Amino acid sequence: MRALVIAFREVRTYLQDTADLAFSLLLPIAIFTLMYAAFGGQLLFQGTAHVVNEDPEGIYSTLFLERLRGIENLEVKLLSSKEAEERLDRSDLLLVLRVPKGFSNRLASGDPAELILSQRGDAGQEGQIVVSLVRAVAEEMGEEFKVREQVARALAGRNISQERTETVLQKFMDRERANPILGVQEELVGTRPDPVNMFLPGIITMFVLFAITLNARTLLEERREGTLERLLTTQLTVGELFTGKFLAGLARGFLQTLILLSLSQVAFHLFTPLTFAEILIVALIFAAAVSALGLVIASVARTEDGAIWIAVFFTMVMVMLGGTFFSISQGSPLYPLSRISINTYANDAFKAIIAGEGSLTHLRRELGIMAGIIIGGLGVGRVFFRIMPGGR
Amino acid sequence: MPEEFLVAQDLHKSFSADKAVDGVSFTIHTGEIFGLLGPNGAGKTTTIRMLSTVLEPDRGDATIGGHSIRRDADAARKLIGVCPQELALYQDLSALANMIFFGRMVGLTGKEVRVQAMAHLELVGLTEKAKSKVGKFSGGMKRRINLAIALMGHPELLFLDEPTVGIDPQSRNNIYQTIEDLRDKGITILYTTHYMEEADRLCDRVAIMDGGKIIAMDTPHQLRSRIGSPETVTLEDVFLKLTGRNLRD
Repeated sequence: MRALVIAFREVRTYLQDTADLAFSLLLPIAIFTLMYAAFGGQLLFQGTAHVVNEDPEGIYSTLFLERLRGIENLEVKLLSSKEAEERLDRSDLLLVLRVPKGFSNRLASGDPAELILSQRGDAGQEGQIVVSLVRAVAEEMGEEFKVREQVARALAGRNISQERTETVLQKFMDRERANPILGVQEELVGTRPDPVNMFLPGIITMFVLFAITLNARTLLEERREGTLERLLTTQLTVGELFTGKFLAGLARGFLQTLILLSLSQVAFHLFTPLTFAEILIVALIFAAAVSALGLVIASVARTEDGAIWIAVFFTMVMVMLGGTFFSISQGSPLYPLSRISINTYANDAFKAIIAGEGSLTHLRRELGIMAGIIIGGLGVGRVFFRIMPGGR
Repeated sequence: MPEEFLVAQDLHKSFSADKAVDGVSFTIHTGEIFGLLGPNGAGKTTTIRMLSTVLEPDRGDATIGGHSIRRDADAARKLIGVCPQELALYQDLSALANMIFFGRMVGLTGKEVRVQAMAHLELVGLTEKAKSKVGKFSGGMKRRINLAIALMGHPELLFLDEPTVGIDPQSRNNIYQTIEDLRDKGITILYTTHYMEEADRLCDRVAIMDGGKIIAMDTPHQLRSRIGSPETVTLEDVFLKLTGRNLRD
C-alpha cells in the first residue's frame, strides 16, 4: 500500500511537469514526423544518373537513355559537359555518365562504341548501383547488336529486305524483353521496408529508455531534499520504497508508450485489437525493465549529475546498439554487441507485432530477456542501495 | 522516577578517518525534553541519525522503548518521529498532501490520516494554508510544516534537529509553544539547537557535545551553577567555557 502511495505521488508529479511531458511525448512525435517526412514513405533505392549526352541527335544514344529512364527508381538528369565537370570537381556529384559524340554513328556502322563513366572515388553507394544499372542496359543493347549481326549474317544472300528483317527482329526482341527466357523472380521474405515499422518502435523505445534518467534522478532528488532520509525513519521498508519507485517508473514508461502507440494507431491503423493488446504487454514489460535499470543507476550514483551522466551514456549505447535508426544485420560486426542492448529485444518485439510476423508466443526469447532484466535490475539495485553510503 | 525511554550506550560512528561520534552514552526518560548542544561538527546530527535508524552505529547500541536500534529497528521506528535539520518536504505538494503522504508512511490509513493532518496543521498555525503548495511557503512556514509532519502517527519519541534555525521570531515562538504542548502531553523529545536560550527554556536536561563526545550533561540550572551563580550565568557562558571560543567550521 505504501509502495502505491509513493508511485502515485511520483506519477502525479510527472503529469504536472510540463517539461517532462513535452520531452517524453512531444519530442518523440516530432522526431518520428521528421524521420517520416525525410524518407517520404519510401525506403527502396532511389537514384539519379547524371548524363552528359554529346550525341543528342543520335538514334542509339536516344534509345540508350530511354532504356535507362525505363528503370524503376532511377531518374536520368541531363547535364552540360561544363556543369558536370564543375560538380565533379567540387564533389557535388560522384558519378557522371558521358555518351560521347559519334556514339550512334559508330554503332550504326558496326564499330565498337563506349560509354564513359567519370567517377570520384568509389562513386558512393548510389553511384555504384547506378554504374551497375548502366552496365546492365549497355550489355543488353550490346547483346541485341550481336543478335542483329548474327541474323544479318545468316540471312545474307537471301532475298529478304533489311527493313523486314529489322521489323521481325524488333518484334522478337520486344517479346523477349517482356518475357525473358532467363528471368529473375523477386520473393519477399518478411515485410517490405516500411518507415513506420522501421522507425516507430525505435523512437518509442528510445524515449521510454530516456525516461531512465527520470527514474535514476528521483531517488537522488529525494536524497538531496532530505525526504529519502525522512522516509527511512518511517515504517516504510526499503522493499516498499523500491517497489514504489519501480512502479512509478513502470507507470511513467507505460503511460508514455500507451499514448504514443494510440496516436500511431490513429495515424497509421497499425493494429487489430488483439495486436494492440499484445504490443501493450510488450510495452509494459519493457517499461518495467527500464524502470528496474533506472533503480540500479539511482542506487549506484551518489549525485544527480552522476546519475544523469550514467543514464545518458547508458541510453546512448543502448539506443545505438538497439538498431533504433538503422537495422543491424546478422553479418555485421556490431551484431554481437547489439545483443547486449535491451532496445534490440524491445524493437524486435515491437516490429514483429506491427508487421504481423509474430504474436507473444513467438516472442518468448525477447520477453524472457526483458523479464530477466527486471528481476536482475531490481536485485542488483537493492544490493547497491544496501552497500552504498547512506543506503540501508 | 520516570522510566527510561531512550538509552544510548557507547555509540560510535566514523566517516573515513573522522570520528563523528566517539563513545556517546546517555539516557532520556519518558516525557523528558533532552537537549543535545554543541558547536558545528560536534556529532549531534550524526547521533540523531543513528538513533533514528538512518545510520547504523559502528559500535554501541541504543534502545527506544526497549527496542534495539540495531536488532529491532522496525519496532523502534514505530515509536519515533523525526524533524530533520533539512526541510524534508515535497515542494510540489500542498501542506496537507505532504502531511497525508508522510502520515501514510507511518502507517495511518483512512480518515485518521486526514484528521491527524488537519489537527497538526492547526497546532502549527497552518490550517489556512493547508491546500497551498509548500514550495511557495516562507522559511518559517516550512519549518512549522517540517515539525508538523514529524508529529504524524503520534510518536512517543520526537527527534527535533535544530527545528528553529533561520526563522522569524513569530514562527520560532509557535514552535516553542508546540513543543511545550507536546511535553505537556508526555511526549519524549531529543532536541538539538544552537540557541542556548532555547535549550534553557525548553530542555529538562542537556548534554554538551564536542569532538564526538559528551563533555557535560545535567539540567540547565546545574550546568549554570558549575561556573557561577545560576541566576546571572547563562547557558551560553557554560557552553563557551566548555567548548572554547575558537571558531568552528
